[in-house]
Amino acid sequence: MPNDKLEKFLEWMRLFFQGATDFGRKSRNILEKEYSDEMDNFMLICFADTLGIPLPISYYTLELLPYLAEDMEMWEKRMLNRKSIWGEKWGEYDLDA
Amino acid sequence: MKKIVFIGGKGGVGKTTCSSAFAVYCAKAGKKTLLVSTDPAHSTSDIFERTIGLEIVNIRENLDAIEIDAEFESTKYINKIKGNLKNIVSPVIVEEITRQLDAAIVSPGSHESAMFDKMTEIINEKVDEYDQIIFDTAPTGHTIRLLSLPEMLGTWIDSLMAKRRKAVKLFKMANSQDPNKLDDDPILKILMRRKNNMEKARNIMIDDQKLQFIFVLNAEKLPIEETKKAVNILKKYNIPVNELIVNRILPEDMKDDFWKNKKGLERKYLNEISEAFSNQKIIRLPLLQNDMRAQYIDEVAEYFKDIY
Repeated sequence: MPNDKLEKFLEWMRLFFQGATDFGRKSRNILEKEYSDEMDNFMLICFADTLGIPLPISYYTLELLPYLAEDMEMWEKRMLNRKSIWGEKWGEYDLDA
Repeated sequence: MKKIVFIGGKGGVGKTTCSSAFAVYCAKAGKKTLLVSTDPAHSTSDIFERTIGLEIVNIRENLDAIEIDAEFESTKYINKIKGNLKNIVSPVIVEEITRQLDAAIVSPGSHESAMFDKMTEIINEKVDEYDQIIFDTAPTGHTIRLLSLPEMLGTWIDSLMAKRRKAVKLFKMANSQDPNKLDDDPILKILMRRKNNMEKARNIMIDDQKLQFIFVLNAEKLPIEETKKAVNILKKYNIPVNELIVNRILPEDMKDDFWKNKKGLERKYLNEISEAFSNQKIIRLPLLQNDMRAQYIDEVAEYFKDIY
């Protein structure tokens, strides 16, 4: 048992120092990128009908619009400009690190 | 008799007449009754010879009625969203989104969804207030689709909530906030409220077994076949159908040949009905010589006295 706790504690310490010494590096950016990817997918299952894909629940997701409206226009553009999945995925790799 | 009764059947068999008469019967028997018409034509007003409208009104002792209008409900919903929009986002975006909302009102699924929403609301809010709630439903197919909606929407909403939770967690982590505090997210709140409403109605109707169907049919080929199918589908949902109403039965003493033939055919179909639906109680309503109006409704209501 105490071994488990010690191991956990060491792991936390490792993560803490890794995070604390990550000066101006990418961790925050990675999280934000992942957040916006996740929200793009979320909006897709809410409003795919605006892109021409019929949705059985589109009536019920309308009431979410006020909270998502700010990003709506950009989201539509992003979805319609998805020409190459490779280019998009390539951009996610951090080649300098 | 269960608390919530859906009166269903093929188009034109006399669902509205039967629902109205049954509602009058329940009210006279001392039960506080609510009659809900979901038919866009709203013939209930015509039968009772008075306006009923979009809010619950009292039309007789113990009897309240409402006519749900899908268009009115969806417009109300959209306007509420528009109002909300103004408080949250900038005017330029409001204009963009308003266009999208206006398009949504006329899109094909939205009336059905609005109807489903209002029915859910009535079931959830009025179930304790009334002894008997009678829904005069749209023709068979629609109504049964309505019952399968909660399951389909339920899974959809679950996956939306899971996605949104994940996204909010990531966002909070990126902004050095506590990633486990998700309660204040307005999107999750809305989704949660919808899920709860749907589950509540489903629990009342299916788990607490407060719902039953009564089918109206005529002694003719097609209504019989449709009713057989509908009864079988409801069996899958464990929703009982204990009564059938056979409407428009011809009088016995027919004189000319045409009507004699017709009556012979009717007898054959009546036998078929008794055989096919041996588990159900069958209520027989005669063909009326007058139009169904307010003054005859008590007369027709008498035929339901076997039901309780």
